[in-house]
Amino acid sequence: MIMRSRNKTCPVCEAGVRVLDYKDERALGRFLTDRGKILPSRLSGMCARHQRQLATAIKRARQLCLLPYIKGYGA
Amino acid sequence: MTRHYEVVYIFDSALDEAAVNERLARFHTLLPGTTPNVNHWGKRTLAYALKRHETGYYVVTQFEAEPTALPEFERAVKLEEGVLRHLTVQLEGEMPAPIPAEAAPVAAVAEEDDE
Repeated sequence: MIMRSRNKTCPVCEAGVRVLDYKDERALGRFLTDRGKILPSRLSGMCARHQRQLATAIKRARQLCLLPYIKGYGA
Repeated sequence: MTRHYEVVYIFDSALDEAAVNERLARFHTLLPGTTPNVNHWGKRTLAYALKRHETGYYVVTQFEAEPTALPEFERAVKLEEGVLRHLTVQLEGEMPAPIPAEAAPVAAVAEEDDE
């Protein structure tokens, strides 16, 4: 899933979603590395608009304890 | 001009639903003329410990309000000890899709919260 680097189509556009929801932590969790960093668009395959939305959504989800800042730390 | 806002609260999971509703009602009196759309997610495990709490009681509300009413409202929320954290977001353009029913408590319901 992560290493589809030659995928040219944005997975969010494909799903027909216009606005990413920061409250859906399971959908956002797909776009994190195993340490909890945000996947670069190079790896996530996202278009620029959705990559920007993704970054904001993940940061909001982190503030709300829905996603960890660092995965596997202190847990 | 009114704007659409969405507020997510994380309450102390030691509060029961009645106590949470009482606090929400108090916050909403600061937003006159609005009818907030309240959605209780219930108790969920937090991704990391927040003020030494492992679980929180999540509530999502959406409403339309005057921007001038917001500072007073946020101040009241901040001062309330029962709220571990909150996030106010302005909804722009289309409203995000309502939370699908399966997304809500499934991953949440923690093993060790027997009150």
